[in-house]
Amino acid sequence: MESIKYLLLSLSFVSIGFSATEKKGFDFGHLLFHHLIDTHDWHITDIPLGNGKKISIAIHLPYIVYDSEHGLRFFFLHGHNHEEKAKEAQKMGYHLDEYGHIRALPNSNKTVIDFSLTKSSLQMILVGLLMLWLFTTIARRYERNPNSPPKGIQSFFEPIILFIKEEIAEPYLGNKANAFLPYLLTLGFFIWFANLLGLTPFNFNITGSISVTAALAVLTFILTQWNGSKDYWHHIFWFPGVPLLVKFIMIPVEILGVFTKPFALAVRLFANITAGHCMVLGLVGLIFVMYLGKGTENFAGAVAIMPLSILFTLVIYSIEIIVAAVQAYIFALLTAVFIGMAMEEHHH
Amino acid sequence: MLLKPELGLFFWTTVIFLTFFFLLAKFAWRPILNALQKREENIANALKAAEDAKAEAQRLKQENEQLLQQARKERERILKEAQEAKKQILQQAKEEAQKEAQQIRQQALQEIEAQKNAAIAQLHNEAAQLALAIAEKLIQQRLQDDKEQQALAQRLLAQLKQNPN
Repeated sequence: MESIKYLLLSLSFVSIGFSATEKKGFDFGHLLFHHLIDTHDWHITDIPLGNGKKISIAIHLPYIVYDSEHGLRFFFLHGHNHEEKAKEAQKMGYHLDEYGHIRALPNSNKTVIDFSLTKSSLQMILVGLLMLWLFTTIARRYERNPNSPPKGIQSFFEPIILFIKEEIAEPYLGNKANAFLPYLLTLGFFIWFANLLGLTPFNFNITGSISVTAALAVLTFILTQWNGSKDYWHHIFWFPGVPLLVKFIMIPVEILGVFTKPFALAVRLFANITAGHCMVLGLVGLIFVMYLGKGTENFAGAVAIMPLSILFTLVIYSIEIIVAAVQAYIFALLTAVFIGMAMEEHHH
Repeated sequence: MLLKPELGLFFWTTVIFLTFFFLLAKFAWRPILNALQKREENIANALKAAEDAKAEAQRLKQENEQLLQQARKERERILKEAQEAKKQILQQAKEEAQKEAQQIRQQALQEIEAQKNAAIAQLHNEAAQLALAIAEKLIQQRLQDDKEQQALAQRLLAQLKQNPN
């Protein structure tokens, strides 16, 4: 009976591993956050053995930590559960927070930065390798048959590449489009693939991390400032065509504008992807809330809610597949727009 | 927790993204974009070549048409000339024939005249001989009658005077 229950529960689209049988009640919020926050182990699934015991299948990633006392340190935490790992970390002089990140101990004054290659980073490398394999294969095809019409995956990606070229790069970057095109292509496809990978089971929603989107936005920010024309800086520090007093008021406004653009970029992508995942997790979680929500097992309730939950999940999932592409498009488009605006030479 | 940026992840994102950006730019995007551009140029060139070929064909066709027209005109001219030449030759032949005929006729006439004259002369001679013979006979017959002989001589003399031939 127990195994049938688990089988049914694991039929859901997003794999939700939980080990809450020994806990009283069911903390769905905790589980949700565990799914949305980067971790140090790639948890694939648990095989339940009954009596609250389970075999956990997971890849444990090494910790790379910088602290102001020891410099860079590279180590594994071998513990089977969070408490054991926390004890190990404590011995090394760190605090392990509830999501498995290394922090400074509350009363110490040394700087501790967790530089570990986490699940997110690992999956980003996976996305990168996938892109590298895919697009070098396509590139080879182009080089072998330069004048024949595209075939197979080449014909699937060519319109997308041309779309980024003709609808994103060329309208906003003009004759400089070719210089920025490799960056925009990498950006667009990276975000798109990362978004899609995040929608598949076992994988982490990379772009649902503010750190990831912020890093991408910072790169856009640097590119924008780097390519800023004389007119761009002139507009920021001495706004043309307004009275002297207004010029002084405009300076902080314009400077703020320089930073809000990439900030919005980072938050938009993060929020969209996270929101989608929250919806999916929430809808799937309804089953588990019904099942364990009141502290007692309610199998009939869980089964009753399943059709509704799965139907809604499917709808949201379909929307998420569109959102994955749309958000990648918007990020690449706005990057092109910002760089284009900064490069523009005004004629007064 | 969700909104707190992790420096580690931020760092790795930057490193991973830039690494793959450089790799992709070098090994994927440049070849793909170059190939696309080359193909675009090839297509544009091919289209232009086709356009040129079409124009060339048009031009050749026109030229042919012109040549044909010219040939047609030439033929007409030659035919006309031939017709004229024919006419002229015929005319000439006719004229020559006429001249020849005229000449022949003239010659014939002359011949006839000559023959006639010869015949007349012969006739005269024969007539004269005949007359002489007759006269001889008559003279032989009628010499007994002197008067009549006299008259006849007179008459013959008159006749001879009138017509010496």
